[in-house]
Amino acid sequence: MSTRTEKTGETGTASAELALDLYRQVTRIRALELLLHRYVKEHGFGGFWHPGLGQEAVQAGAVSALRREDYLFYAHRGLGYALVKGMAPEVLLGDLFGRTGGSVGGKGGGTVHFVDPELGVLGQGGTLGSNFVLGAGAATSVQLLGEDRVVAVFFGDGAASRGTFHEAALQASVWKLPVVWICENNGWHLSAPFSAQSPTEDVADRAAGYGMPGVVVDGQDSVAVRAATLAAVERARAGEGPSLVEAKTLRIRGHYEGDPQRYRDDIADGLEVPRDPLRILRERVPAAAADDLDAAAESEAEAALEAALEMPKADPGIVTEGVWT
Amino acid sequence: MSAIAEVPEGVETEQLGYGRAINAALAEEMRRDERVWMMGQDVAKMGGVFGVTRGLLDEFGPSRVRDTTINETFIVGGAAGAALTGTIPVVELQFADFGLVAGDEIFHKLAKWRYMHGGKLSLPVVVRLPTGVVGGAGAEHSQSLEAIAMHVPGLKVALPATPADAKGLLKTAIRDPNPVLFFEHKGMYRTKGPVPSGDDYLVPFGEAATRRRGDALTVVATGLMVPRALAAAERLAADGIELEVIDPRTLVPLDMETIVASVERTGRALVVHEAVRTAGAGAEIAARIQEAAFFSLDAPIWRLGALDTPIPQDPDLEQLVIPSGEQIEAAARELVAL
Ligand SMILES: Cc1ncc(C[n+]2csc(CCOP(=O)(O)OP(=O)(O)O)c2C)c(N)n1
Ligand SMILES: [Mg+2]
Repeated sequence: MSTRTEKTGETGTASAELALDLYRQVTRIRALELLLHRYVKEHGFGGFWHPGLGQEAVQAGAVSALRREDYLFYAHRGLGYALVKGMAPEVLLGDLFGRTGGSVGGKGGGTVHFVDPELGVLGQGGTLGSNFVLGAGAATSVQLLGEDRVVAVFFGDGAASRGTFHEAALQASVWKLPVVWICENNGWHLSAPFSAQSPTEDVADRAAGYGMPGVVVDGQDSVAVRAATLAAVERARAGEGPSLVEAKTLRIRGHYEGDPQRYRDDIADGLEVPRDPLRILRERVPAAAADDLDAAAESEAEAALEAALEMPKADPGIVTEGVWT
Repeated sequence: MSAIAEVPEGVETEQLGYGRAINAALAEEMRRDERVWMMGQDVAKMGGVFGVTRGLLDEFGPSRVRDTTINETFIVGGAAGAALTGTIPVVELQFADFGLVAGDEIFHKLAKWRYMHGGKLSLPVVVRLPTGVVGGAGAEHSQSLEAIAMHVPGLKVALPATPADAKGLLKTAIRDPNPVLFFEHKGMYRTKGPVPSGDDYLVPFGEAATRRRGDALTVVATGLMVPRALAAAERLAADGIELEVIDPRTLVPLDMETIVASVERTGRALVVHEAVRTAGAGAEIAARIQEAAFFSLDAPIWRLGALDTPIPQDPDLEQLVIPSGEQIEAAARELVAL
């Protein structure tokens, strides 16, 4: 088994159907991103919104490589992970706004912690890096029960620094657990550029130490992300153990919406996405179909916002509920 | 007025060590429910650093009895992830102190994830934590940290003081759908006592055990302090001073009803634990006693606990830090005379 870091550099091939499906997912995420950008700007927000604008191809590409029964531990940047896994956008917005129609029944608000066990959406650690050990543990259950499932664990280039990555990656490789580690490398850990966080060019280089494949893929190209993730997922499903997929992308907005990014001069403030995943996908889908999908995504997002804002806030009694089973 | 049997009348028992009783509970629960499994460092072939899990690998195989790497964050966090996805992990940390190495996993994941997710997730995890002094284990391997677990809502906390309770409480812990921190006293693994043989012996959480009846003073003691308090009570009984000794057995949930009812009869209370006295569980128990039974008290509530120092490595010195039977006896005499 080669454990060297591979840089696929490949755009991969995609059937017309697959390209359309990815376009649909990327534009759905984008529509929610733009809508939330507007909403937070106009109305403020009771927490921190960590925009994922520009990173849609990673979330759509990787999550689309999973099956419904596969487990997902997502990261804090955006809603794309759970949306593509099948959660309804109004439920996700309901969680963001702390409404009873959110998946956590009004306990949410601010940073996302939505959950849907039926869809395998299992959560996100508020403490960065906790996903690693949770994911490896879920994969241990899968192995014990002899189930045909894979666990996808998303993390940023910053979270990659946590010691829990080492502990979980090591154990997952030793036990050949069905995990796929997906690093969304957007070049920044809050104010620190990736170059200041890593002695090597790629997070994927670290995979070799755990005897697992590590691949670097263009995170703006959803087809390539999907292909790389699918290979890792298939390897996990076959009982061959974990893999690390590093998707290189770029954080467009601040760490949170409202962050003036004074520490940064590599990008102009705005909504412009260099190497926009939608533009890249448009080379593979008919323009009319793409236009239709854009329009559908926009109305889906608008309707979701309207629905979420109509949901009531929870009764005060909720504060003491759900501590114990 | 005298000591009360450790096991209710009429229950068939065998003499077992506290460690063996834990082993029996693990084996019985793994036989009963296929979803129950365990992991920890050196728990498989070796049977754990204290030998508690010996033999389980042979019966249940390497898939359900797993040796991990030296990896506390995974042992606890992995257990949390496994519990979210349909299995029931019972994990062992070699020393309770190492729970702090997995602090995020215990206090954030196990304690909070059900709450944060609107009650949609369950975390049926038992973390076995060998606690207390054992003779020279040193400052980072001898602490009694149960009060920290009481302070973070969402964790159940058990502290068995007899072999029978070690078995019955662990079985209850494994069947509980909530996370349980199971503080087993590593200095008591070899203590023998009657243990119910049937595999349906469960000790409910939140029910204190009155270990001895008396009218002069209520002593609330946990873990290793239970046998020390009972020995002190025997000596005092010779002088006609009868102590009531109550072992809460679980700190979360905490059976204040039994404690308060006792204090209302005796009018006096002494709380004793091996953990550091400052901000220990005794502070909470004493506060709750005075809230509920202030007008029944004839004297202030006293607490005994470890000194405000780390545990020294030397086995003789370590005993100077935690309450001795003699100190319990002396404190009880003084308190009764107030
Ligand atoms: C253990 C822990 N440390 C710090 C934080 C605060 N924090 C939240 S997000 C973040 C930056 C994370 O960077 P990265 O993992 O690259 O993800 P990105 O924000 O770029 O998507 C920090 C420092 C935290 N939530 N948890
Ligand atoms: Mg980042």
